Amino acid sequence: MQHSNGTKSPTIDVQRTKILLLGQRRSGKTSIQQVLFNDVSPKQTFYLEPTTRIVKDTYDTVIPLEIWDCPGNVTLDTLGASLSDFSSIIFVIDIQDSYQQPVARMLDFFIAAYQESPDICLEVLVHKAEAFTDDYKIENFRHIQQRVIDELLDISQDYEQMPLNFHLTSVYDHSIHEAFSRVLHKLIDSLPYLEDLLNVFCANSQSSKAFLFDVKSRLYVATDASPVDTGTHNLCCDYVKTLNAFGPLYKSSSSSAARLLRDSRSSSPSSGPSFYPSAAVTLAPSTQGTTLTYHSITPQLALLALMHTAVFEEQRGLLEYNVVFFREGVQEISQVEKDARMGSLVV
Amino acid sequence: MKKKVLLMGASGSGKTSMRSLIFSNNPASLTSRLGATIDVEQNHVRFLGDLILNLWDCGGQDSFMDSYLSTQRSTIFQHVGVMIYVFEVESRDMPKDLTYYRDCLDALRKYSSDASVFLLVHKMDLVKGDKGTQLERKRRDLQAESGDVEVTVFGTSIYDESLYKAWSRIVHTIIPNAAVLTKHLTTFAEACSATEVILFERTTFLVIATSSPPAPPASSQRALANGAATPGSSSTVVTAPTSPVEDVHKLNATRYERTSELIKALKHSCSRVREEFYALEMELPEFTAVLDEMTKNTYVLIVVHDPTIETAALKINIRTARQKFEELQNDSISA
Ligand SMILES: Nc1nc2c(ncn2[C@@H]2O[C@H](COP(=O)(O)OP(=O)(O)OP(=O)(O)O)[C@@H](O)[C@H]2O)c(=O)[nH]1
Ligand SMILES: Nc1nc2c(ncn2[C@@H]2O[C@H](COP(=O)(O)OP(=O)(O)O)[C@@H](O)[C@H]2O)c(=O)[nH]1
Ligand SMILES: [Mg+2]
Repeated sequence: MQHSNGTKSPTIDVQRTKILLLGQRRSGKTSIQQVLFNDVSPKQTFYLEPTTRIVKDTYDTVIPLEIWDCPGNVTLDTLGASLSDFSSIIFVIDIQDSYQQPVARMLDFFIAAYQESPDICLEVLVHKAEAFTDDYKIENFRHIQQRVIDELLDISQDYEQMPLNFHLTSVYDHSIHEAFSRVLHKLIDSLPYLEDLLNVFCANSQSSKAFLFDVKSRLYVATDASPVDTGTHNLCCDYVKTLNAFGPLYKSSSSSAARLLRDSRSSSPSSGPSFYPSAAVTLAPSTQGTTLTYHSITPQLALLALMHTAVFEEQRGLLEYNVVFFREGVQEISQVEKDARMGSLVV
Repeated sequence: MKKKVLLMGASGSGKTSMRSLIFSNNPASLTSRLGATIDVEQNHVRFLGDLILNLWDCGGQDSFMDSYLSTQRSTIFQHVGVMIYVFEVESRDMPKDLTYYRDCLDALRKYSSDASVFLLVHKMDLVKGDKGTQLERKRRDLQAESGDVEVTVFGTSIYDESLYKAWSRIVHTIIPNAAVLTKHLTTFAEACSATEVILFERTTFLVIATSSPPAPPASSQRALANGAATPGSSSTVVTAPTSPVEDVHKLNATRYERTSELIKALKHSCSRVREEFYALEMELPEFTAVLDEMTKNTYVLIVVHDPTIETAALKINIRTARQKFEELQNDSISA
């Protein structure tokens, strides 16, 4: 299988936030990258060929990313870049494999990186977790976590402050999306502003939970201050996937283009949203139930929000108004990000 | 009205798996936990109004098969409306499968001479190489084995929409007066300025009827790749009146079964957070659509390309049409 770029780099290149993907051979690095950013289905990862050289993939969301997928045997010397070039280093450990070697290699990289830039994000993905039962999964996860910390402190007590983050993941469920979302959040400078916008949106629209999703990868780039419930997160992920899949099914060769034309012309039609796509799924037959709304914010991003069906039905106008307000806020923040990155290229 | 449906085939061919996907909304990944079916498991599924589908999942181990063909012969094979026979595409012992199949066909001819017969070449996802050619070869072999009995062959897999296509076609044949439903859906579509209206059964999300006749047998790449549609495969089951309307939209040929699959997956996601899927409205760049309850047993999907039509209007139209369709359904079944 070819490792094609998920998103082609734009003609004028911007300064990208770099993420380094490390791990033993067959630990699942390429699978993770392909499932998240290249629309590969989890089952298809079975047919991926071993990575023999470093593959750099770019992906554009709130911030432009560059993800380096490395072969299992890469070393500091063969990496061809300084660790300080990266904002985040992700090390993938196969939960079903023996840990000794990967943990030792991981610590070599992490220590080197930490010494060069103490602010770097160090992420451990304990991967292929779906194969185990919940209890056994957690037990193994704790065990690996403890082992890493013990070994680190054996090397030197100085590393007590090293900020390590552990995640339990699998490409076969949404755990990889949730974990990678959290990895991504630490890299977004404007995150607090996005979170503020989401908090304001929730308060004004009586929404109990809202996510700003990157539509193609189905990572959420920000959410409001209320805690993330995994079930709700998974439902949102599936919902975005459903909507992504629906479009092409009923695409008309004669009429769909005309719709788009109207969309770009219309500043604001009589009522209803002026931006595609927007959608709503109602859960439970009565107005006591919940509705999950979807609104396009930028070509890459969509706002997903949970609210009472009664609120959705009775205050539709207010909701649309709040979405417009939110959209303007996000677009402004995106523009600031963009300008900052273009500016830093010039110097 | 009850329709008896026999589900037969060798042990491990995937009968219980497909039943649990279609009728119980279980995901494909859980089917590996299913044990072999002991004797016959019966299920009653209420389809439209009074139409009850009585599904007999017949465990396929040799000892059970031998008993179906001897002591239980009349019990199993009488009053059958449809027999679905499942063959694993890469069967370990095809000659034995075929011997049992021929014996079942003989018994069926004796006890239920007007039953329709569907053959599923299953686990198509395991085929390496050209699925289309492989399926065509199997189709020819199976048709030859069936002698003068008319059979319809589908390639299926629980991992894609092909299973929904096959089962939608199968249930379509047992719905009396499906053509009447189609006619009313067409009128309804016109009233909504819709490109297309599709009626689904509520629990299985199988397609019961559509407003426009299904697209001519697909030669689309995707359909072939799935081993689903091949020219000729649908010749015996097209029931919608075929008025030669010019197809200006050229919608995706696999849209019905893909929609069933997508909605079933979304329903499943909802149930995992203990929520119940109820309705969906979408304004996508390509089209506007509303999916909502039509009658007690059905859901309707209205697809509109005209950008001036709003979802609120479509929802009002559905509300208005409900009563009419509820009556119609009952009529079409008691007719
Ligand atoms: N690859 C693949 N495996 C399938 C498919 N359908 C079912 N299976 C697997 O086949 C195995 C046997 O499935 P069952 O549904 O129990 O088979 P059965 O026909 O009911 O068997 P008996 O009850 O003994 O007659 C399970 O492990 C399923 O996961 C398919 O489309 N593709
Ligand atoms: N069970 C399981 N297998 C996985 C998972 N992620 C990847 N794999 C499998 O692990 C194997 C190696 O994956 P690959 O991405 O090539 O590893 P890499 O060498 O680290 O890039 C493939 O067969 C994948 O299908 C997972 O979450 N669960
Ligand atoms: Mg069984």
